[in-house]
Amino acid sequence: MRKLTLHYLGRAGFALAVLVLLLWSLGPVYWAVLTSFTDPRDMLSEHLSLWPQHPTLEHFAKLFGASSASQGNEVQSVWPQFSRAFVNSLVTSAAATLVTLAAAAFGGYAFVRLRFPGRDLLFGLVVASMAVPAYTVMIPLYRLMISLHLIDTYLGVTLIYVSAFLPLALWLMRSVYQSLPVALEEAAWLDGAGRTYTLVRIVLPLAAPGLIATAILTFLSAWGQFMVPLVFSPSLATKSLTVLIPEFVTRNYVDYGLMNAAGVVAMLPPVLLVIFLNRFLVRGLIAGATK
Amino acid sequence: MATVTIQKLRKNYGAIPVLHGIDLAIADGQFVSLVGASGCGKSTLLRMIAGLESVTAGTIDLNGRVINDVSPKDRDIAMVFQNYALYPHMTVAQNMGFSLHLRKESPARIDQAVKETAALLGLSNYLDRYPKALSGGQRQRVAMGRAIVRHPQVFLFDEPLSNLDAKLRVQMRIEIRTLQRRLGTTAIYVTHDQMEAMTMSDLIVVMNGGRIEQVGAPIDVYDRPANLFVATFIGSPAMNLIEGVLEHEQGLSQVRVGGQRIAMGRRIDLAAAAPVVMGIRPEHLALAPAQGLEFTLPFKVDLIEPTGAESHVYGQTGSTSIVAALSRKDDLQLGQAVHLRGQCEHIHLFDKATGARLD
Repeated sequence: MRKLTLHYLGRAGFALAVLVLLLWSLGPVYWAVLTSFTDPRDMLSEHLSLWPQHPTLEHFAKLFGASSASQGNEVQSVWPQFSRAFVNSLVTSAAATLVTLAAAAFGGYAFVRLRFPGRDLLFGLVVASMAVPAYTVMIPLYRLMISLHLIDTYLGVTLIYVSAFLPLALWLMRSVYQSLPVALEEAAWLDGAGRTYTLVRIVLPLAAPGLIATAILTFLSAWGQFMVPLVFSPSLATKSLTVLIPEFVTRNYVDYGLMNAAGVVAMLPPVLLVIFLNRFLVRGLIAGATK
Repeated sequence: MATVTIQKLRKNYGAIPVLHGIDLAIADGQFVSLVGASGCGKSTLLRMIAGLESVTAGTIDLNGRVINDVSPKDRDIAMVFQNYALYPHMTVAQNMGFSLHLRKESPARIDQAVKETAALLGLSNYLDRYPKALSGGQRQRVAMGRAIVRHPQVFLFDEPLSNLDAKLRVQMRIEIRTLQRRLGTTAIYVTHDQMEAMTMSDLIVVMNGGRIEQVGAPIDVYDRPANLFVATFIGSPAMNLIEGVLEHEQGLSQVRVGGQRIAMGRRIDLAAAAPVVMGIRPEHLALAPAQGLEFTLPFKVDLIEPTGAESHVYGQTGSTSIVAALSRKDDLQLGQAVHLRGQCEHIHLFDKATGARLD
């Protein structure tokens, strides 16, 4: 009897933990979606509402419209700025993901399978660089980017992203390669394949789940970056959504509805990417290779 | 046509030597087994021949050409791995055709070669399957097919049967041997199973601690083991070893064991009073009187293992544990005291100090 009670207590505790976690992670997302559909007048209501009382598409209209009204005044549309920042975010995040992925795919392999002096020390240093707080390198990095004329360029932002996310990606890919049986590569060598061919034809297909996980992680990190574009993307040439959206706060008025509508749209690319790539995260790909 | 000649081959991992100077000559078309306990260096030797391990010193020679520094892909040597190492993302046909594809053979020729090899191995119905949809024995066959399809100079096998169940193992060892005879390709086969080595090989290479203990035809190695290691490693149940002291009398030698003397019927070239080890195979012991010059050992039965055809009877002679392979008609009881008999000419004699064979 006592045991049964404990069992149910355990189950209840587990359910509670899951609930708290869900609230913690999905709560803000729900709040943003809710706000984006809420009438501006209801936003200031003293009654807390978990469902829009007067659902409206007004904020999205303001975001996508050619012109819009704010508090009765005709104001300039935000769409040109928003669409430009959206493209900027997409370009820098995608470029950073592709470059990081390529470098991690080959570099991680080298750290596992090639023997060269100082290999483990070098890897240790690369991983240790993750512990360096970004703020401490911001000023020297800014000087460097100025002298390279890379401020406010896609290349500059992408390079910074790659340098920031590559250590983790290398670490991930290294563990992925470590878990693959070396006999498969040896079999390919004896079959007449060279190193690079073996990596591309035999190893990478088997490392695909790791590559996809690395791609998702890198894209999400780049997409969510705020500090780097804030410092290195001063104009709309490369400014990202993360920097643009908070600028909807004006001197007199915080347009919560517009900010949240923009935020909801900004959530879509990473969500779509994860859903799309997740299909390729095939489990058990390695099954049947050995034994 | 492929001969493999290995001279003074050494391998160190850092400061640790694993092969201490291996000399071995393998003739064209021979099936050679490297056999020994795990850690004896047999797999390392095989991997050095494949080019997967570097050579510390010495030479590996394929058809008169030293291949120490030739990369594995250019050696034209095929290897069957212990865990098969099939490419999991390729079908059986793609696995088998991979090497031909790399050689830029035409798709039609690859297809033909793969189909022929598959027919040879009974894999014709599985060409479109992925490795995960195959049984252990079928995967084993695909691994073999991948090696056969390219007609390499040499086949290397690294304990290819150790993951199969006992029945399949016997079947596959017959298949491998038949296939190798038919193709006439030189084969080097690593195993820890002395039964596989005995049954399959033209030449058996017994290794221990990074050295070759003996090279010879299986029956020769069985009949005349060169030293105590080979004597106990080859044969199951293992050879009985009984310690004694050598004596000479009227030009003939005898061994004093406990209180009794066992005549050798021949002269052993070693100083009198030298400690020696007598080796007798279990099947050379019986209850019935032996022919010719006979010896007897007092024996007390501890344990009887019936295997069907015969029974392995374990017990004590003096203070030494021995085993005899007896007919199951010899109706023995546990604890029974009997005398085991054998022919003196079946006794192997080893120097206790060096372990080397004495005659």
